[in-house]
Amino acid sequence: MSKRTCISAGLWVGALALLLAGCQGGLRPIQQLNQPLSGLGDSQSPSLNSDWLALISSRAGSRAQVQLIDRRRNAPVPLPGLNRPDSLPISVAVDQQGERLALVRQRDDRSELVIHRRSLQASQTVPIEPAGVPQRVSLSADGRVLAVEVSRAGLWQVDLLELP
Amino acid sequence: MGLSGCSLSPFNRQPAAPTGLGAESRQQPALSGDGRLLASLVDRGGRTTVILQERRSGRVLPLRQLRNRQPHSSPSLSWNGRYLALLVQQGGRRQAVIEDRATGQQHPLFLPAAQEPQQLSLAPDGQSIALELINGGSRRLQVFSLAGMLEPDRAPGLRESGGGTPLQP
Repeated sequence: MSKRTCISAGLWVGALALLLAGCQGGLRPIQQLNQPLSGLGDSQSPSLNSDWLALISSRAGSRAQVQLIDRRRNAPVPLPGLNRPDSLPISVAVDQQGERLALVRQRDDRSELVIHRRSLQASQTVPIEPAGVPQRVSLSADGRVLAVEVSRAGLWQVDLLELP
Repeated sequence: MGLSGCSLSPFNRQPAAPTGLGAESRQQPALSGDGRLLASLVDRGGRTTVILQERRSGRVLPLRQLRNRQPHSSPSLSWNGRYLALLVQQGGRRQAVIEDRATGQQHPLFLPAAQEPQQLSLAPDGQSIALELINGGSRRLQVFSLAGMLEPDRAPGLRESGGGTPLQP
């Protein structure tokens, strides 16, 4: 294949890629963020804001972990005190400041709701009252309200908590 | 519904306000960025349907554009609740859509055929969205820009543009 043919084919591929991107309803992948994400293995439970992305990632043969990506640097930040070898994260949410993370995790065959303060490197277990099994969590971006899906007596319910 | 203030716990807690149909299952809660609105999934005539409520009063806000596209899943709200992103049923597939409550417009998000969305999270400013996609048996997150597609919905004082008719209080 001649050099001219190669360049021509490259231009066609580029034009086709642009056309397909245009057909995705204005949806454009943020490659500088998706690149580090692809290196995390399987990932789920996203919680996104303009500065942070919290998620749960797992690689074959290793335990699932909560990850917090700093969108300004497109890189994970350390979360000392949050990921524990004896627990399995189920759902995570982060506030706009990247300061508070709400987490539902399984530990010792029980599910628990935890609030983690990153600046304090401290986690606090939030009691579920009346007793129930927490599953999925949502945190308002201002970090003041938490909603958690709880299973009680065969019924799914939503508990709301205002955080101090 | 007011908050109960007599708990020994440092957290003020309350159940989500009822939806008017007695005891029913509520799943997949999602709060607006300012915590004023709550989206969740309930059963309506055997179909999983998203409802939007004011968190404190429990008042249900209309979502007319989303009728007949159940089952709904994975709701996510912007800062002031102008945008509601969620997964709806489109033919035999799940599709991510964003409803603009200010204009009544609905924005479908088209993905390559091999990628099935499972869960999503809309950034509170409405300028990006994270999609959990299943492709060939693996779950991957991808983040997409919505800049140019949606006006920002930022916290008061940070709002860059208004646009559309005012939201219902």
